[in-house]
Amino acid sequence: MLKIIRDKLPELLTAWARGARVLVPRERGGTRVFLPWEGEGELALGQGNTLEPPKDLFFPRTETMYRYQVQGKDASLAEEPAADARQVLVGVRSCDAKSLAIMDDAFLTKGYVDEFYRQRRENTRVIALACTEASPTCFCTAFGIDPGRAEGVDVQMWPVEGGYLLEAVTEAGQELLRQAGDLLAEEGDAQPPAAAVPPLQVDVSGVTEKLQRMFEHPYWTAVSRKCLGCGACTYLCPTCYCFDIQGENQGDSGYKFRCWDSCMFSEYTRMAGGHNPRPSKKERLRNRFLHKLQYFPERYGKFACVGCGRCLDRCPVNVDITRVIREVKEVTL
Amino acid sequence: MKGIQEQMRARARELLAQGAVQMVIGWEKGTFWYLSPPAFVTDPEDCDRLVWDEFCTNNLAKYLLDYKHTGDRIALFVKGCDARGIVRLLQDNQIDREKVYLIGIKCPGVKDGRQAAALGEARRGEVPLAEKCRYCTHPEPVLYDELLAGDAAAREAAPGEGRFAEVAKVEAMSPDERYAFWTAAYDRCLRCYACRNVCPACNCRECIFDRSQSGWCGKQMQRSENMFFAITRAMHVAGRCIECGECERVCPEGIPIMALNKKIIKDLNELFGEYEAGVDLEKMPPLGQYKLDDPEEFH
Repeated sequence: MLKIIRDKLPELLTAWARGARVLVPRERGGTRVFLPWEGEGELALGQGNTLEPPKDLFFPRTETMYRYQVQGKDASLAEEPAADARQVLVGVRSCDAKSLAIMDDAFLTKGYVDEFYRQRRENTRVIALACTEASPTCFCTAFGIDPGRAEGVDVQMWPVEGGYLLEAVTEAGQELLRQAGDLLAEEGDAQPPAAAVPPLQVDVSGVTEKLQRMFEHPYWTAVSRKCLGCGACTYLCPTCYCFDIQGENQGDSGYKFRCWDSCMFSEYTRMAGGHNPRPSKKERLRNRFLHKLQYFPERYGKFACVGCGRCLDRCPVNVDITRVIREVKEVTL
Repeated sequence: MKGIQEQMRARARELLAQGAVQMVIGWEKGTFWYLSPPAFVTDPEDCDRLVWDEFCTNNLAKYLLDYKHTGDRIALFVKGCDARGIVRLLQDNQIDREKVYLIGIKCPGVKDGRQAAALGEARRGEVPLAEKCRYCTHPEPVLYDELLAGDAAAREAAPGEGRFAEVAKVEAMSPDERYAFWTAAYDRCLRCYACRNVCPACNCRECIFDRSQSGWCGKQMQRSENMFFAITRAMHVAGRCIECGECERVCPEGIPIMALNKKIIKDLNELFGEYEAGVDLEKMPPLGQYKLDDPEEFH
């Protein structure tokens, strides 16, 4: 196993930043988010999750899809330049690493490949950082995620006394560690530290089957009463991938863009004629949970929740997905 | 504060059992010791869920809009800011006074849940007052049908100084610095609309930000659209913001929204005379009334 001393980590990031954009948790406005590393400044790897998940780096909040120009009776389209810049994402927790596999299912499988997503995904190397301390809102283990070792990443890091242990998982990961040169030292007998034990536990077994019979259950009225109908939960969720496509027209030219959208908003399901099949927050909140716990498992064989706890942490009214799972399992049909 | 909690439960039980109200809105214990989110009780047997502690932070007034088209009469527990939210909604003719039963609580100020989480339960006594309560001018409800007798006296209204301290900081900036400050803040904005949805002054039946096809504001999360949202929201609550601070509390990105709201309050005070929204039912907001001697010329 290789080790880097803590003070040398910025040098390693700088080495990786030659030829790639390195993104790492840093402080911004009192919170921690993945920000580009430009050779100097403070890192905020800390413990626990960043405020925002890294999904924005693969699926930006807003991205232009193409531009158009109209001249008389002719129209021309211009493709956007490919998003082919290399990215190295450092300090991804196991929950967020798992969320990438979930996003891959949605964007890359079942017969359609989303090129915007694919380009960024293929051009990004992911370096995970194991959790040795859990936040009160963490429950990744409920979904079989190991906070001590992430799946689907290129390099795994562990925090240890004075620095970090590193282990390459893929070919690309080995290449990244080779780039580190003598910043890394061999620590033959070093053992990864014990993984964090998330304090929040919930048993998700059987919840999909129960939900399949609960669409019209009065539970949804009760649980949705306090919901404000804001989109904080969906926008901070690492696995919420809904988007809207709209155009911005300026005279003879314009562009089509896509941007994040949230099933918690009224506009999300409003049809052209004005009808809204999800007219109130009851139907919208129900959809959010059914998507994560029923529809996605039915389609892809896995839950669309990774137990990162961001929704629970930031919900203004404490809508708690673990509590919803427990209550769903308890209600009588 | 046990005394108040017991009275809350007893009164909720009585009102529901008598059929005087169909629902009671208060607070209950949430996932963690530092969370006391809103609770909706319809069964008199279920009233022991209600709690009163230092984390009963949420302003409950806005929820009445969810029931305005029902025949239900609703009892609501009101702190100072909740009651001001009710006044605000009444002044906008959003709710029917007869359909609301207000149970007042003298508020000692609520505590900061996020800092509580960081400190840990062992240091519960050290949790500071929530930012939104630091400059509260009306801890006691300004409107109620009954007032719970408290064993913890409401604290004195906070002194006026400090209320506009954040505004003064931003005003002291150069125009370029100020532009950098607000763009940095609103570049983070996720447009989740938590600030709007929690606000008792935001009560449009349909918000323009839920109508992106109207062309007023694009759905792009980018600086120009985010700033348009920020300014429109702030100007729309001008003269009607009750300073409950809920917008800033619920913002996941920590945008200093109250600095914007308070700047407008400060300007309104200077232009039209001192006014506090949601305090007096009879006193209309400065931008919601017409006067022949309006300081602003109107042709």
